[in-house]
Amino acid sequence: MNWLQLVFYFAVGIMVVGCIIKAIRIAKMPLHVRWELYPIPHEKGKEHYGGSYFEEINWWTKPRQIALGSELAEMGREILAIQSLYRNNRKLWYFSFPFHFGLYLLTATIILLVVGAILQALGIEISGVSESLLGKLVYGLTILTGVAGWVLGAIGAFGLFLSRIFRKELRKFSVRADYFNLLLLLAVFVTGYFSWLVADSSLGHLRSFAGSLILLEAASPLPAITQVHLILVAVFFAYLPFTHMTHFIGKYFTYHNVRWEDQPNIKGSKIEAEVIKALGYKLTWAAPHIGQNKTWAEAASETGGPARKEDAK
Amino acid sequence: MSDNRDITPKDMNSPVEQLVELDPAGFIPLPPPYDKLELEPKIKKLTAEQSSKYECGLDGVSAVLLPKPKDENEKRQLVEKFLSGLAKLFSKENNWTFLQPLLLTVEYCARCQTCSQACPIFQQSGEVEIYRPTFRAQILRQLYKRYVKQGGRFLSRLSGDYIEASWEMIARLVELSYRCTLCRRCAQTCPIGADNGLVTHELRKIFSQEMGIAPKQVHELGTVQHLDKGSSTGMTPVAFRDNIEFMEDEIREKTGMDFKWPIDKEGAELLLIHNAGELLAWPENPEAFAIILEAAGISYTLSSDLLGYDGVNYGVWYDDVQFSRVAIKHAQVAKKLGVKKIVIGECGHSHKAMTVVADRVFAGDLNIPRESSLTLLRDIVLSGKLKLDPQRNADIHVTLHDPCNVVRLMGIVEPQREILRAICPNFKEMTPHGVYNYCCGGGSGFAIMPNSNFPDWRHSVAGRAKLKQVLDVFQDIIGPEHKKYVCAPCSNCKGQIRELFAAYGVFEKCNILYGGLVELIVNAMTDIKEPFLAWEWH
Repeated sequence: MNWLQLVFYFAVGIMVVGCIIKAIRIAKMPLHVRWELYPIPHEKGKEHYGGSYFEEINWWTKPRQIALGSELAEMGREILAIQSLYRNNRKLWYFSFPFHFGLYLLTATIILLVVGAILQALGIEISGVSESLLGKLVYGLTILTGVAGWVLGAIGAFGLFLSRIFRKELRKFSVRADYFNLLLLLAVFVTGYFSWLVADSSLGHLRSFAGSLILLEAASPLPAITQVHLILVAVFFAYLPFTHMTHFIGKYFTYHNVRWEDQPNIKGSKIEAEVIKALGYKLTWAAPHIGQNKTWAEAASETGGPARKEDAK
Repeated sequence: MSDNRDITPKDMNSPVEQLVELDPAGFIPLPPPYDKLELEPKIKKLTAEQSSKYECGLDGVSAVLLPKPKDENEKRQLVEKFLSGLAKLFSKENNWTFLQPLLLTVEYCARCQTCSQACPIFQQSGEVEIYRPTFRAQILRQLYKRYVKQGGRFLSRLSGDYIEASWEMIARLVELSYRCTLCRRCAQTCPIGADNGLVTHELRKIFSQEMGIAPKQVHELGTVQHLDKGSSTGMTPVAFRDNIEFMEDEIREKTGMDFKWPIDKEGAELLLIHNAGELLAWPENPEAFAIILEAAGISYTLSSDLLGYDGVNYGVWYDDVQFSRVAIKHAQVAKKLGVKKIVIGECGHSHKAMTVVADRVFAGDLNIPRESSLTLLRDIVLSGKLKLDPQRNADIHVTLHDPCNVVRLMGIVEPQREILRAICPNFKEMTPHGVYNYCCGGGSGFAIMPNSNFPDWRHSVAGRAKLKQVLDVFQDIIGPEHKKYVCAPCSNCKGQIRELFAAYGVFEKCNILYGGLVELIVNAMTDIKEPFLAWEWH
């Protein structure tokens, strides 16, 4: 096992564990009050205009109608095409879309490299002249997704980098880390592309490296440019969980736990149990009207001011 | 003072006296007859006394009337207090109510500025930088990273993602947290799902819950008075009954019905809660409700119990504890009466507060179902229980204002439209409308905040998008010879529209009146001989 393999195990380990920890931390936050925002795509029959079950009289007596298909379609449009950016910020979408789509394609490339390596280990040749149709297909798709991913990603990253520099409203709100993140990814895309162009036209080197990682075998020697690319990929993997680039995790929660979260609190439900638990938390806010040493339930059942009983009736 | 478009969040620490000078020439122009700058109402300068007494270093406007600290020591203590509140905002125990949405926004906003295009205040002001939705969010994020997040002191310096907290910054932030109406149009466009409107809400909570800072009308005369006297209008149960008697007389007079309001009727099907402001400013609205419910034979009651006759909950704008207190009192009133549900009158924030947000404050037998009056009214109108003749509304051109709380934040979009289509032959939608509407400019407490020159700002900046929409939709009939009506089924929105229209003289110049939805329904009822809708300004 060589040093690059070790670096990769380490980097992938940090990425996976880091992302899982992040997701768990968000998921384990206490129940919050409802704060949804319409339109919500799962409101069956009402999703096209932003309606909700509140439009029905005695809504709590009627079965909830969930349009799962609409929600999945909306998610698909949002994830694959970044629909909200397309609609509301087209100038940025022209770079953001290729950037993100490039990343999706490269994720597919990694999967195809791993699949290719496994097939190779099973004796199936992965090449353009392979006798196996699957071998040919995996070979072709790996190159297609890889090259398209590097090119689109590079165009997007470079465009976003320039946008952050030249568009005043972006520059003003950008910090060092924003530029660094884009440059790091740009370097990943560019070195990936050049590694393919000058040293690895079949992506055989990357495939053999992927194989060495999953089959715990010694890695074959790699061209210098490919090594540089892989080091950058490893740096990106290890760095990712510590940045806001994990917004692919955050976005799941912002949509499903906040924006589209319209689950009513029914008597005896899990939500009600969580509400009761939260009302038991002790608050320490210091303003005089809050009161000291109280749980939420205690504070909420007070008036926080002098009672004027003579006016009560 | 810098150029309004060049200011950065770090400038909030600047020692200059005033960060931004507002210039109406930079605002987005209005359509005729307000297309000349000289017709633009002025934003008054604060008096020398006001400026010396209160913090106004943001934009020369004072919404909160925050007293200036006496000395450096007091300033330091206030900054420390703010930072202690900031830490509590990110703790589970103190902020379980919003911790998850807040942290997601703070951590994941990509600062792509997509939301800026959606914000009516930022846009209509001519893109004055401090009003940009990400401006406040950037400050909160960088303060969080610098002062609260574990290891943040070092890491935030490394990434450049930090800002220092001075009293100048905090004082400006207090005012800035009252330059956003919480309409959450920004959040609707966010590709990541971050919510910069929520940031405003959370900042207000630090000020109120930790530092005891909030506009007097929202806190002292708002929730505190509500909990104490029974209504944020100051109306006591005794005064409520007096008002009711007076309005009963009016109903008898207007309809010839022998009418008696059901008050505190135990076992009634539903408890109807109005915004008590209606009783004082627009009594025709609760009266119209009474006429409709009576004619439709609905079993309901009003309550004369403390808080039972005022459905507002100002807490939803600035303070979770005050919010919970008011919400629980409302539920207790309904529980005592033994009603099957609470129905909320034409009050937007009361809708959202009671139905949506309080849904996770109630437990056990306090969790009494709540619903909008709009759905009940829709069912009544479409059921044929009322004798309605749309021609009685035919001489009025009607447009519909969508209260953000009812529509974007609750998804009640169609019932009010179904009613208007049934009873108003000349109903026309504004652009945009429904869940993509523009706020009236009076949301999140603005409509009830009359301090110093804040109303001027509210009219010229916060309400500008709505005024423009209204003028646009009626542009081909803008002359005073045509009767025009903005139907706004929300007391708060009506309050803002009343003052917005008054500031520009919209009724006099264009003959555009505003009012609720139920008034139009009763106006179409053939059993009522005289037109219910009095075509007069109030």
